[in-house]
Amino acid sequence: MPEIMPDTPARGYTDEQKYRIFNTEFMPHIDSMYNFAFRLTMDEDDANDLVQDTYLKAFRFISSFEQGTNAKAWLFRILKNSFINDYRKKSKEPAKVDYQDVETTYNSEDAEAEHTVDLRAESVSDLIGDEVANALNSLPVDFRTVIILCDIEGFTYEEMAKILDIPIGTVRSRLHRARNLLKEKLRDYAASMGYNEESED
Amino acid sequence: MQTSLYPSSSSDVSAKQMKHHCDHQADCLKMIQLIIDGEATAQQLERLTVNLETCRPCIEMYHLEKEIKQLMQDRMEKKCCPDQLIATIQAKISSVN
Repeated sequence: MPEIMPDTPARGYTDEQKYRIFNTEFMPHIDSMYNFAFRLTMDEDDANDLVQDTYLKAFRFISSFEQGTNAKAWLFRILKNSFINDYRKKSKEPAKVDYQDVETTYNSEDAEAEHTVDLRAESVSDLIGDEVANALNSLPVDFRTVIILCDIEGFTYEEMAKILDIPIGTVRSRLHRARNLLKEKLRDYAASMGYNEESED
Repeated sequence: MQTSLYPSSSSDVSAKQMKHHCDHQADCLKMIQLIIDGEATAQQLERLTVNLETCRPCIEMYHLEKEIKQLMQDRMEKKCCPDQLIATIQAKISSVN
C-alpha cells in the first residue's frame, strides 16, 4: 500500500462526504495536475495516465486526507510519487536521472560559474514560450520539478518540501541550482537569437 | 520593466555611491531568490533593499531573477486537462462503490 500522507489518521467519511470532497476539493486542481504531469512526462498520453492514476488513488485513500487542508499539495505529492514509481522508469528520458549524480557533477564544475551566469534581463524578455519551455525541458527532471512547483504553481518552500519529501534547505539549494542551469540554457537561446551581451554595452 | 525595488534609472543615483562590483554575489543571489519567492526574513529584505540602491550587480541580478520567474508564469503554455479525461475519472469514481 503506497504511503500517501504519513501521520494522518484515517477519517471515517461517508460515501456522500467522499464524493463531495473529491468534487469540491480535488477536481478544481485537475488543470494544474495535468499541467504538472505533462511537464514531468513531456507526453500527453503519459500525462493522461498519470493524472487518472493519481485521482483514482486519491479517491481510494481519501480517508487519509483531512478535509479543508491543502488538497493541492496532497494531490501533487501523490502525483509525484506515482511518477517516480510508475513512469520514470519507462520514460523516454536518457537513463534514469539520479539527482545525486547531477548534483555531484554540477558541484564539481567551476564553482564560480554557479553564481554568475552572464545574462541580462533584457536578453531573456523577448524569448517566446517555446524557447522557455525547451530550456526548462532540457533540465534534469528533479531540477525541472522544483521550478515548476515554485514558479509555475506557486507553492511555498514548505509545501514543496512536503510534496518532494526533502528538507526545506534542500528545496532552497536545489531551486538555486535549477535556476542557474536554466539561466545557462536561456543564455544559449538568447545568444542564438542575437541578443548577446556585448551588443548592449 | 519597472519594479518597486528597482531604481527608476541609473542616473538617479550618483555614480560615486553606486558599487559596480559585488564581493558577495553568490550570497546576494541566494538572498534575492528568497525574496522573489516570498521566503525571505524581514532582515534579509532590509539588506536587499539597501543593496538595490547601491550595488549595480545586485540590481541586475534582482532584475534578471524576477524576469525569469515572470517568464515561467507568463510564457509557458498551461496545459488544460482534456474533458474526456475528466469524464473518465468521474465515471471510474462513480463505479467504485
